[in-house]
Amino acid sequence: MEEARVRMKTDEYIVEMKNITKRFPGVVANDDVSISIKKGEVFAILGENGAGKSTLMSMLFGMYEPDAGEIFVRGEKVKIDSPNEAVRLDIGMVHQHFKLVENYTVSESIVLGIEPIKHLLGVIPYVDIKSANKAVQELSQRYGLEIEPTKKIEDLQVYARQRVEILKMLYREAEILIFDEPTAVLTPQEIDYLLGIIEKLRESGKTIILITHKLEEIKRVADRCAILNRGKLVDVLDVETTSTAEMARLMVGRDVLMEVDKPKAQFGEEVLIVENLFVEDMNHFAVVKDVSFSVRRGEIFAIAGVSGNGQVEVADAISGMLPIKSGKVSLNGRDITDLPVKERTDAGISYIPEDRQSMGLILDLSLAENLVLKSYHDAPYSRGEILNKDAFLQHAKEMIEAYDIRSGGGATGMVRQMSGGNQQKAIVGREIELGSDLMIFVQPTRGLDIGAITGIRERMIEQRAAGKAILLISLELDEIMAMADTIGVMYSGEMQKITSADDITSEEVGEYMMGVKHA
Amino acid sequence: METIIIDGLSYALPLFIIAIGGIYSERSGIINLALEGLLGFGAFTGGLFVALLGKYFTHAGWPIYLSFLVAAIGGGIFALLHALLTIKFKANQVISGVVVNIVSVALTGFLTSQINASVFDQPSNRFLLSVLPRYTIPVLSDIPVIGAIFKNVYPFSFMIVVLFIIFWYIFRHSRYGMHLRACGDNPQAADAAGINVYRTRFWAVVISGALAGIGGMSFAYSISTNFSPAVYMGAGYLAIAALIFGNWNIMPTLFACLIFGFARSGAYQLMRELALPSSFSDLAMTIPYVLTLLLLIFFSKTNKAPRALGEIYDKSKR
Repeated sequence: MEEARVRMKTDEYIVEMKNITKRFPGVVANDDVSISIKKGEVFAILGENGAGKSTLMSMLFGMYEPDAGEIFVRGEKVKIDSPNEAVRLDIGMVHQHFKLVENYTVSESIVLGIEPIKHLLGVIPYVDIKSANKAVQELSQRYGLEIEPTKKIEDLQVYARQRVEILKMLYREAEILIFDEPTAVLTPQEIDYLLGIIEKLRESGKTIILITHKLEEIKRVADRCAILNRGKLVDVLDVETTSTAEMARLMVGRDVLMEVDKPKAQFGEEVLIVENLFVEDMNHFAVVKDVSFSVRRGEIFAIAGVSGNGQVEVADAISGMLPIKSGKVSLNGRDITDLPVKERTDAGISYIPEDRQSMGLILDLSLAENLVLKSYHDAPYSRGEILNKDAFLQHAKEMIEAYDIRSGGGATGMVRQMSGGNQQKAIVGREIELGSDLMIFVQPTRGLDIGAITGIRERMIEQRAAGKAILLISLELDEIMAMADTIGVMYSGEMQKITSADDITSEEVGEYMMGVKHA
Repeated sequence: METIIIDGLSYALPLFIIAIGGIYSERSGIINLALEGLLGFGAFTGGLFVALLGKYFTHAGWPIYLSFLVAAIGGGIFALLHALLTIKFKANQVISGVVVNIVSVALTGFLTSQINASVFDQPSNRFLLSVLPRYTIPVLSDIPVIGAIFKNVYPFSFMIVVLFIIFWYIFRHSRYGMHLRACGDNPQAADAAGINVYRTRFWAVVISGALAGIGGMSFAYSISTNFSPAVYMGAGYLAIAALIFGNWNIMPTLFACLIFGFARSGAYQLMRELALPSSFSDLAMTIPYVLTLLLLIFFSKTNKAPRALGEIYDKSKR
């Protein structure tokens, strides 16, 4: 591996971005940033949410044009005014939100725009799907990206869709590959696989730009790393000779504690009791089987498990998003099994959903409106049927202050324009303000940077200290181990093990997660 | 039985070609409620063409065939209105479609009366067309029961079958068809793949106008042998129902159109057999629509509209 790194690296710069500045209304996204990327290296761009990483690379991919500065590709000055122009310069990008036609097959999606054409009877042109399938098959074998060319995109899981996006770039013979937070949506095993692919791509001579805020990934695959903080370039470092602590310090601009301070737990009475819960999915397939547990005041009960083993369905069933097939859920001694969502919220459930953009927020409403989504029908936000917008704004101002929510457009700005971390802060703030006895956090720190993660974890501890019962569902074992008082492990819809966090090691949890060990 | 099949087909096929037009537009992501207005305007231009030629060449056969081409061009040009409103000016597609329909009815009615008065010196709201010849294919038509398919066939029926094959092929197998379907599902993805979403949708709407024009011209010939406001009898809306019932795919939509056609001719036949007074025929006319409603209730659950249908595509929005 080390040899490969040395062999492929040259001192020839393939991309140079000089003195790039980009402003959006109310915020300077990039302020006089200059970076140079060598051919054949993995170049990481590290920074917190909203530091301007994606913006910088979006300009290299032609989605925005810089207000000032110059871009050179292979030594030539270029003007990249559209993604098409970027593709012409052999630049490819895997976006955070995939751009795929859902009802197409894998190979149709990959060849879209540059389809292989054959002629019927020598004259009538048609798109030759067979040779597309073959080409995709070959590419997927060459780079070890397993995929079925004839499968429909809508039937694919997230990691497979990402592979399609990578193959799309490779099919277009891109030499410079930009990955925008590629691991944010993946499980640990999938991340491992992807990083392997990135190493393989470098071996075959591609130049890779990796936008991320995960230090372990950088440590594992990157050669060099540029650090951005609030739109400014802080430093460009050699990864091998820099410690992760140093990178983290530069990224957030202060020393960070990776561990949150957690006082000893003070358990009170049981708030949530789940008994023999069964849940089915849309196809009447049992996804939660006979799950029972309880959460006490002042307790963080964490459910660990590999993605898709029924954890999220448990949370959805408790909050009322999914119907309960059989079993009983009670909150503070009251049976809430058949209550509608609104009444459960009023009964005392706060819910931070897994998918913040589709379930947690209404992206085209303002921040102020989103912050009162669950309370707008109560005083002071409305009187009878009439909404009081002034109260919305007043509330939003307090929340922005209290939860450090950064929004370019302020309280009246659209949530869509905010970064993922700030969107999450808004949701967490809103749910905490409900003052519910039970707080459900599903993947609360997914896709967030260290600063935001620490912030949210501190909130969780704060709520625990205030005597709330907290149900945490996370795919990240580190998070579970750091936060939980009690750990439940789910595998294949069943609760494998429930134990105090002090009595189990992360390795053991991992074994239960994989279904290797049974209680 | 024979009449049901013959009449049913001569109604179903024009309906089908209109529905194919609708599929092109909607699979590209543009809701097309304007089919009714487009077929009417197409029939108007075709009818005007026949009337003008009829002034100089009486009883010639070729204007009949040429009139379909003219109707297609007329429908296509009128569809530019819908295309411009929805794509260039990003207007709401439902409203634009309704406006096109209203404008079409008013404009063709007005123009027909004016042209009749000034060019032909006769006050009338219709253009008279010649009676279409009908063909019976030997041998095939002798097959019991299904032989009726090949009896008394309008020339436009053959044309529609040919067009259906061509447009099915383009839709399924050509590069344009592939781009079109991508635009209706995820225009951002299509854009990222280097496809011009605006242009693709623009041509899809124009094609829908042209095909609707041909369907309208067929109805003008088969139902009343003239162009008059009677051509606006709801076939455009029925075509929309057919394509929704057909799940925005061409083959199942053919099936839907055949059901509607036979339901209609069957209802007429029933009236005749029972010797009911003609005032009941209005009631019979509603049968295909009632059937539509019932079918949609039962089948629409499994239907999936194009994901980006009705979504105004704006490149600058992320």
